[in-house]
Amino acid sequence: MNKAVSIDKPMLRVSVAPHILEKRTTSHLMYHTLLALVPALLAGIYFFGFAALKLALICMATAVACEAGMQGLMGRKLAVKNGSGLLLGLLFALVCSPELPWWTAVVGTAIAVILGREIYGGLGNNPFNAVLVGWAVVRISFAEQMNTWIMPEPLFGLEPGGYIEYPPLEVMKIDGVEALVDLPWLDLFIGNVPGTIGTVSVVAVLIGAVYLLARRIITWHIPVSFLASAWLFGIIFWLIDPETYANPTIHLLSGWMVLGAFFLATDKGTVPVTGPGMIIFGIGCGLITMIIRYWGGYVDGVAFAILLMNATTGLLDRVRPRVYGRVKEVA
Amino acid sequence: MGLKASFRGVSLPPQKVSNPAIENAPLPQRVVLPLGHGGDLVCEPVVEIGEEVKTGQLVGQSGDFLLAPVHSSISGRVADIRPWFDQLGNEVLSVIVESDGNDSWEEELRSDERFLEKETVQLLTDLKAAGVVEIGPPAMPLHAKFAHPERPKEFLFLVGIPRAKLVDTVIINCIDAEPGMSLKGAVLQENSSEILAGIKIVQKLMDTAQVVLAVGSNGSLNAPLTSELAGLGVKVYQGKDKYPLGLNPILIKCVTGREIPLPDGSEQDIGVAVVDAATLVHLVEAVRDLKPQVERVVSLSGAGMGAVKNYKVRLGTVVGDLIEQLGGLKGEPIKVIAGGAMTGIALFSTDIPVTKNIDALIFQTAGEAKSFSQDACINCGTCVRHCPARLLPGELSKYCEFGMFEEARDKYLLHCIECGICAYVCPEKRPMLHLMRYGKRELSLG
Repeated sequence: MNKAVSIDKPMLRVSVAPHILEKRTTSHLMYHTLLALVPALLAGIYFFGFAALKLALICMATAVACEAGMQGLMGRKLAVKNGSGLLLGLLFALVCSPELPWWTAVVGTAIAVILGREIYGGLGNNPFNAVLVGWAVVRISFAEQMNTWIMPEPLFGLEPGGYIEYPPLEVMKIDGVEALVDLPWLDLFIGNVPGTIGTVSVVAVLIGAVYLLARRIITWHIPVSFLASAWLFGIIFWLIDPETYANPTIHLLSGWMVLGAFFLATDKGTVPVTGPGMIIFGIGCGLITMIIRYWGGYVDGVAFAILLMNATTGLLDRVRPRVYGRVKEVA
Repeated sequence: MGLKASFRGVSLPPQKVSNPAIENAPLPQRVVLPLGHGGDLVCEPVVEIGEEVKTGQLVGQSGDFLLAPVHSSISGRVADIRPWFDQLGNEVLSVIVESDGNDSWEEELRSDERFLEKETVQLLTDLKAAGVVEIGPPAMPLHAKFAHPERPKEFLFLVGIPRAKLVDTVIINCIDAEPGMSLKGAVLQENSSEILAGIKIVQKLMDTAQVVLAVGSNGSLNAPLTSELAGLGVKVYQGKDKYPLGLNPILIKCVTGREIPLPDGSEQDIGVAVVDAATLVHLVEAVRDLKPQVERVVSLSGAGMGAVKNYKVRLGTVVGDLIEQLGGLKGEPIKVIAGGAMTGIALFSTDIPVTKNIDALIFQTAGEAKSFSQDACINCGTCVRHCPARLLPGELSKYCEFGMFEEARDKYLLHCIECGICAYVCPEKRPMLHLMRYGKRELSLG
């Protein structure tokens, strides 16, 4: 048999199809999410001063350092450039009180990066939302530091909102619903109340959320089902007994609800990937959040609701649409 | 005619030029004619080394129903009969003909205007003799599409689908599926009379079948053509610009609402035959002019080419010779792709002949060629959102990566239609399609 073709010409590059790739990469996703969080951070700085910025920078620096350290220790490719560490650090800062001591922030961020994520194999392979793992550890270990609040003092323009001295949900839990009667909803919406850096201003978070949705970095499934189920669950009890249960819209506008729905409950890798799975996930988050807020020991249920639902991700991924060309088996 | 089904997919970057004119490529000095078209079957050569052959002369044939005969695409002398690499890298026995520069045909082509009066059997015989091959996947002789023998399909029998269903819908696919392909819209514009004649032949071959002409956003039907089509009772399906509409499994679903039963089914099982617009022209030439298939319209694109162009290329022209005769490339290609940018095959050498199932060539320069990474999946779910087969490609790719092929089969790996979207959208740039094909191959080996 003759030899077929002699390959003496310069070799061509061979690869499997497709031969064009979309420009969007992991770092693209991360940096655009960071960009979407900038309004929330700016709102935090506006209401709580530069302590908020300082905390954010501490957390981001810690996150990147821990990420690089862990990747070095575990002999993996250094991937700090993709911005996932920065995003984790910023998200951690945004769910903390601006009064948080720096060491608590460092401990929390380090736990989030090391125990929350890197130990499982890095980005996207952690079963639980890393930010919330870190937050939950320091929330339980250092309850006092995590529960210190300051009054908002807008840098310019607005008058400080002086109706309540604690975050609205704390007030609701301790003093009952009547204590919030005088609180203007606008203050809740723009964030002129005590609270954590990034969650007080609902409008700032929503700007970022619209950006994420428009960029198709997240889909509507989880946020919409999260917020809708929480609101619907709330309105049932509000209609039954408005003396004991607050208007569900106040619940949506206070605490971590909006930031949680758009940024924490959509964390890639810890949530289901199919449409129906995401909707069930969102409904679960909404219901558990409201159950904890109504009857639980903790003031805000968003973090624990998301952590609990993260545990169901593996199951919810089994809720999948019918695949193409599947014929019904005749037994 | 509207969509009968929606599907997931992506909007790909559009072509810069729509429907470039079809030019004749210069006559090659030599041609390499593989005696098979994918698969293990090859024809028996019926010529000998040193023999003089004319254009259109039979050089190889086989008794097998699923193998098309091979004809010489130029006139000259048979220089050699030896194995040659095809685009997949397999060695296929090939007839190599060196041109005498005359391009003299074996018989003068004469057009028989009464071709529609031929008996159905005669039509099929002419079609088979002309060796017209429907572009894949899978590449198969066109006559096999219209009259295929019953093949035993235990799987389908068990699940209750009647075997060898009568074809009741014929879809003429005029959609340029992927970037790099721009020939079907051009064929529709320049060969509209052949398309009409082809539809008449198809209607005669399968008298009860509904013919559907599927056009993309680039396929413009002029007014006389539209009225002619309406007169023939042909439905026109206007598609939108969304990949993978032009791929057969999705096109069938959108036009008829039926799905090909996977993993073992084919379009015949659900009573559908899809015919490529360019192949339809060859069908007409085969029965009207008794002209064997000796050429193929090929789209040439990529940064190496500069502009997008369509050429009618003689079969067997070696890609390297084609480039030379067209005056070289504008940029040194680092990747040469046979087929579209989403599903095409990267050639390992330019010494590969143009065959009946190559309809596009893309010459990518170093700046344009992409490469995949080896990073881990981040479970972002982007591929799931875009998978037209509604699979979980990320999960499947991990199963295949770590050798868990049986688990992948349970998660419907074999239902993957290999459109390449998962790899296109993956933010980690994982070689998704490679892993899927790897898993499928491992499973097929048992």
